[in-house]
Amino acid sequence: LLQKRSDVYSVEIYGTKDLHKTEIEYEEEKHKDQKGNKKQKKAEDLKKELDLDDHRLSTSELEMKYGTSIDKGLSSARAAEILARDGPNALTPPKATPEIVKFLKQMIGGFSILLWIGAGFSWISFGIQLAQGVDSAFDNLYLGVVLALVVILTGIFAYYQEAKSTNIMASFSKMIPQQALVLRDAEKKELPADQLVVGDIVEIKGGDRIPADIRLIFTQGCKVDNSSLTGESEPQSRSCDFTHENPLETRNIAFYSTTCVEGTATGIVINTGDRTIIGRIASLASGVGNEKTPIAIEIEHFVYLVAGVAISIGVLFFIISVSMRYKILDSIIFLIGIIVANVPEGLLATVTVSLSLTAKRMAKKNCLVKNLEAVETLGSTSIICSDKTGTLTQNRMTVAHLWFDNQIYSADTSEDQTTQPFDQSSPSWTALSKIVTLCNRAEFRPGQENLPIMKRVVVGDASETALLKFSEVILGDVMSIRAQNRKVAEIPFNSTNKFQLSIHETDDPQDKRFLLVMKGAPERILERCSTIMINGKEEPLDSEKAEAFQTAYMELGGMGERVLGFCHLYLPENEFPETFQFDTDSMNFPTSNLCFVGLLSMIDPPRSTVPDAVSKCRSAGIKVIMVTGDHPITAKAIAKSVGIISATSETVEDIAKRLNIPVEQVNRREATAAVVNGMELKDMSSEQLDAILREHAEIVFARTSPQQKLIIVEGCQRQGAVVAVTGDGVNDSPALKKADIGIAMGIAGSDAAKNAADMVLLDDNFASIVTGVEEGRLIFDNLKKTIAYTLTKNIAELCPFLIYIIASIPMPIGTITILFIDLGTDIVTPKLSIYLQYVSCIQHIAQCSLNSVFPHSCPFVSAGIMQSVGAFVTYFTVYAEQGFLPTTLLGVRVNWENNAINDFEDSYGQQWVK
Amino acid sequence: GLILLFYLVFYGFLAALFTFTMWVMLQTLSSDIPKYRDRISSPGLMISPKPDTALEFYFNRSDSQSYAEYVTTLQNFLESYNDSKQSQNIDCTRGKIFDQSEAAVKKACRFNLSDLGQCSGKEDPNFGYSKGTPCVLVKMNRIIGLKPEGEPHIQCTPKEEGMVTINYFPPNGAMDLMYFPYYGKSLHAHYLQPLVAVQLAIAPNATKEEIAIECKIHGSPNLKNQDDRDKFLGRIAFKVMMSE
Repeated sequence: LLQKRSDVYSVEIYGTKDLHKTEIEYEEEKHKDQKGNKKQKKAEDLKKELDLDDHRLSTSELEMKYGTSIDKGLSSARAAEILARDGPNALTPPKATPEIVKFLKQMIGGFSILLWIGAGFSWISFGIQLAQGVDSAFDNLYLGVVLALVVILTGIFAYYQEAKSTNIMASFSKMIPQQALVLRDAEKKELPADQLVVGDIVEIKGGDRIPADIRLIFTQGCKVDNSSLTGESEPQSRSCDFTHENPLETRNIAFYSTTCVEGTATGIVINTGDRTIIGRIASLASGVGNEKTPIAIEIEHFVYLVAGVAISIGVLFFIISVSMRYKILDSIIFLIGIIVANVPEGLLATVTVSLSLTAKRMAKKNCLVKNLEAVETLGSTSIICSDKTGTLTQNRMTVAHLWFDNQIYSADTSEDQTTQPFDQSSPSWTALSKIVTLCNRAEFRPGQENLPIMKRVVVGDASETALLKFSEVILGDVMSIRAQNRKVAEIPFNSTNKFQLSIHETDDPQDKRFLLVMKGAPERILERCSTIMINGKEEPLDSEKAEAFQTAYMELGGMGERVLGFCHLYLPENEFPETFQFDTDSMNFPTSNLCFVGLLSMIDPPRSTVPDAVSKCRSAGIKVIMVTGDHPITAKAIAKSVGIISATSETVEDIAKRLNIPVEQVNRREATAAVVNGMELKDMSSEQLDAILREHAEIVFARTSPQQKLIIVEGCQRQGAVVAVTGDGVNDSPALKKADIGIAMGIAGSDAAKNAADMVLLDDNFASIVTGVEEGRLIFDNLKKTIAYTLTKNIAELCPFLIYIIASIPMPIGTITILFIDLGTDIVTPKLSIYLQYVSCIQHIAQCSLNSVFPHSCPFVSAGIMQSVGAFVTYFTVYAEQGFLPTTLLGVRVNWENNAINDFEDSYGQQWVK
Repeated sequence: GLILLFYLVFYGFLAALFTFTMWVMLQTLSSDIPKYRDRISSPGLMISPKPDTALEFYFNRSDSQSYAEYVTTLQNFLESYNDSKQSQNIDCTRGKIFDQSEAAVKKACRFNLSDLGQCSGKEDPNFGYSKGTPCVLVKMNRIIGLKPEGEPHIQCTPKEEGMVTINYFPPNGAMDLMYFPYYGKSLHAHYLQPLVAVQLAIAPNATKEEIAIECKIHGSPNLKNQDDRDKFLGRIAFKVMMSE
């Protein structure tokens, strides 16, 4: 183990996804076993790791445990028994709310119930008045109908929006296999997969979906694609051997819903249905439940507030009007009027409209919003937990640094590089570039000549791809260079040698020597060298030069980069004539005393837009936390280069190193940054995690498993933060669900992650999240304005009504008129305000804080009263200009509304019919 | 404290602003004539006495209490038409619009109560209610500047024939043009609007039955009497039920 650790800079080569956490995890688990604290609470258990020991058991132990036989399988009777006990092998779908219930919920939710009551009252008073033979009875009927229409229309609108959101379990159920080949009663049978029970012996072959969690007992070249479960894109080979303590890592278990890519296998079913790993994740995802978004909570609160105010004012004035000797029926009509004036009928529609408008705009900026309220939540986000690979980085290895002639050169790592700016005049570079070009098996797929080099598809692993593109950018047509230097022998990379070697003819027809080129782990390469090339000249490799190599190696490694060493040797013509037959098995050629030429280091570089986006977040008061499965050093280097860890801040370890004191003595509060290892996180109590999240402004979680993401999200939420989380694998979905806003990757993301998420990033780019945040903040501001407008308007609608009752003036504004004004303005205003561009408040989080939506009612009341005063001036002006001076109007309500008075006299002696 | 002060000042200012704008608005108005008169181009009809509830008369001819209210109303209404009250009024030329737009002081035309005949209250202080021939006064709403064309007269028709005979005072229910136009309360202080008395001689067989009567203004092209939406424009409908 220790040896593997020393390789830390060079181990993590193949693929940018980190699949190499196993060794240390293993060590860590052993450690835990010793401490004897492996037992955890069952509820916590699922979140951390899975308790499965079937992978440890031998075949016979398994047979015993499940009461089965490998040769005969279960008997049909026994299988039926178990099936009755465990239920079918299928994921339980979530309890679906019937559509009609959803619809009715929209119909009676929020303000609707108030309006229904109003409509009911209207109809009752219509009935009473009709019975009394009052002419105007039909007004009440119409009022009731309009109220009901308003409710139904807004209900239908809201239902339509709701219906758009998709069901998270849908993708899980799609993964269920149809048929399985099962051994029962010593016969092979084709059975529907949901009939499988624990203990069944099943056979799978390439192309099948694994029908249940299976402990493999026989395999032949079997590989499975676990991407739907773990997000690992490479097929994993499967065998019968117990290779790892962790059931997720061990090779002898195949998981439900994953796909067998090639080969065949036979295994015992060990878990079915909801008890499978994916079933547990699915139930965890649906169990976690959707958190209410801040705007939903806020709106609910607002609904209660307004409804309370409406009802109390209504009842108050009902009592007042009754004691003022108005008829009860009239008083009820007043009550309805007051409620209608108070309730912002269109508010919910307003919110929906502004959210969907913003959602459309965000979609244009590569943020696809699935859940409308997520738009607003994104605006109030205070912590973003972001993946590294693909989100912050470009998800491809790129050459970042070179070391030759005792000097480190930086390479361009941007997405669209066409040249490399470093000094290429040294003859050492010529030699190095030749090795890079020749000692490389990667090739471009044909037919991509018109594409930019960085976009071309390459056959080969990640680092060879990086080297190929690098040399193509600098040297031009690599394939023709290789053709001129014909390859005569080759030893591909393997993990024992840790080098790759090839022997070529030279492109100089005069030079009959062979060129041996080699690349590999730097320390291994250096071991094989006796000279080093400095400015094109071979110089003996003395301790001073070896020291320089070590310094450079450590420096590049310290930047989290994967370092490769390159060396070459021109084989002497007399020993290796043109006709020499190279034999790579017996190695009939020298592999030591070579000439060391240089180092190249590669990294998955950050996307160029990310540092800017991170600094935007920072100035907006959003904390960016990086969560990655990568090695801490790489994680830290990327964090530093994108600004998640700022240039000046130090981790506890940095301080310890600087002051030359043990880590324990460092004052943790001095360290603004922290790099937390997933292994540490495993042993942490939630208090410790809270402390870390609280004390450090800049946090990177490295070597974390997707399950731990959930713990981190919960930790952040305990701090009262609104958390956005990115994710792509199936097992990210609990964290995505738990987060206030889950963001799935559109390119790399699995369907389950996309389903669990509230938002999908179409370009997988972190910068798009920030754009989304900006849009969210904008809508937040817009909503604030709209709500302020709505409230103000309500006051202005209420005032005339109150004065109508108190001062008995002719009705200034009728209930139906109010309804139409409300509906018209509530839907149009957000459309107008949403297109207003103003200083984005992303700069000032304080001004955008959530609590400021409904701050003090006083400004609204005052503004509303101002409006009312203006409206009353208009009202009195209109009446006065027609002949009714204000003094005439006061107290005339009863005569004014009396149907029998048709010679109502105005201030000028004219008489009016009703 | 400061906030309270602010709101005090704020609302004080608002109140002042309201008062000021109202005052300015009132300054723009003339005291003689409203700024706009487009909402009433054609007058409505109204009756007196006007029953409290709706336009329905219920009375017992032998019970003076049952119609006392109507009689009192009529007496009060006709008070201003007494000769003593009309001393300042002049006799105008009958059948002609009495245009005084040039005159600084607008004169009112005399309306002789005697024109109302049996419904004037002079001959029968009970206005016929005790005899089964109740009187109802029909008047046309005052509208400033209205000049009826033609020869306007009131004509009432019962819904069912044979239950009632209708007499008009003045004859034909005519409204004389000399009472028009009206110049408004402040300029035309003593103005009296012309009245038409409708005497309903209820047939003996129609007692205890509800008689629906509609009165309309006829004979004048610029006075509407058939508006779908406005049931009182140039017409009025009421019901009478007399018992014995």
